Amino acid sequence: MPTQVGLETVMDRRQRTGYLVLAVVLAHVILISAQVNAAPGTSVLQSVTFGVFAEVQRWVTSARDGVFNVWSGYVGLRGVREANLRLNAEISDLRLDLQEQRALANQTRSLERLLELRETVALPTLSARVIAVDSTPYFRTLTVDRGRDNGVRTDLAVIASVGVVGRVVGDPGPRAAQVQLLIDRNAAAGALVERTRTSGVVVGTDDPALLVMEYVSNLEDVRVGDEIVTSGIDGIYPKGFRIGKVTNVEEGVGLYQLIHVEPIVKFSQLEDVLVVLNSQAVRSRAESE
Amino acid sequence: MKTAQVGILIAVALLVQTTVIKIGAGGGTPVDFVLIVVVLTALQRGPVVGLWAGTFGGLFQDALSGGIIGVSGLTKTIIGVGSGVVGSRFILGTVWHRLAFVIGASLVQAFSYLGIYSLIGLKSPMVSFNAVGVEAGLNGVVAIVVPWLFRVMPAMFHRFRQGRNPLNRRRWTTS
Repeated sequence: MPTQVGLETVMDRRQRTGYLVLAVVLAHVILISAQVNAAPGTSVLQSVTFGVFAEVQRWVTSARDGVFNVWSGYVGLRGVREANLRLNAEISDLRLDLQEQRALANQTRSLERLLELRETVALPTLSARVIAVDSTPYFRTLTVDRGRDNGVRTDLAVIASVGVVGRVVGDPGPRAAQVQLLIDRNAAAGALVERTRTSGVVVGTDDPALLVMEYVSNLEDVRVGDEIVTSGIDGIYPKGFRIGKVTNVEEGVGLYQLIHVEPIVKFSQLEDVLVVLNSQAVRSRAESE
Repeated sequence: MKTAQVGILIAVALLVQTTVIKIGAGGGTPVDFVLIVVVLTALQRGPVVGLWAGTFGGLFQDALSGGIIGVSGLTKTIIGVGSGVVGSRFILGTVWHRLAFVIGASLVQAFSYLGIYSLIGLKSPMVSFNAVGVEAGLNGVVAIVVPWLFRVMPAMFHRFRQGRNPLNRRRWTTS
């Protein structure tokens, strides 16, 4: 008799676990369906988790950087004299280069005035630090330490010193924002071949070290090594910023060429970026050009 | 207490995933630390703990990533329950058994994740079989190496403090 009672308890427990699994799975399915049907936006869970976790991520990143800095500072002390001598020599060379560049810049300015070219409007930007990367291996996003309180909004462009990084996605938290990298499969940017001014759209692929330029006609002249820059027609990315270099050009199946582009930005080494604050300025600049 | 331990483990896994380790293109790491915690916890503590670890780990991971909330939650819930059931019925005694199990669980998780995205008609975030394979392999290696390190580190540290060779293989265990 006690054995039968024990067996019934085990069966009860298994049944309860089964119901629990069913309920949780159903809840997930409902949650997913609600988001697929609903208008795009950020859920409460997403905002709260992102807001809270961003603070912890900021703290952990600072601690990690602190440890790395102490260590690299210690290592850096060794051989600092040789580095000083080398750097002094480099500074002398750079000063000379600077003089030449200044002379060139003055010459260009006077030429611009002569040709009555409009002066380029400097875009308002905000520097930000990368504090976290994506929580899954499937998406390619970053978290930066600037958010709503600093004027960051959805769809603002994010750039690095060498080129385009991506755009702000989702609702930014008060002190952090999520950036979708240009290499994400769902990312895209209006682009131009710098040499020929041929326009197209650059999109992310499965390969994180590769972009593809789409909608470029088979008749257009595109060569390996051509620089790809932003066209500004998407109204997000400012015009003329570097995206990458063409690594392969093939005739596509339909009307368009298959163009592989190697991104100029080393996304795994990103530490500091700039957020372009005024999307209106980007749009009006693209329209006027 | 046990619930808190699992919660802390998941939080640490998320932090390691997003902040401490920045390798691979895109700045992200091709290892899913949350999945590893879910599988190892479920193997040790059964399907119910696996279910809750998978649900909360997956949901928080979804909330922090750019995807749809619930996809990772659902796949990790299923993996957590499955691992718990396997752990309560079989003994995965050897390293190879555990390695194979974690690799299998990673593959199931990745394909169900991409499958759900295909089912709902959205562009899946990653479809490269190579990337899935690399992630599964790395998950397996990390799931074996990290717990082993936690097991041997105290003894190694103890030997180091005593001025003896901490890498003497026969002395790694404390017993």
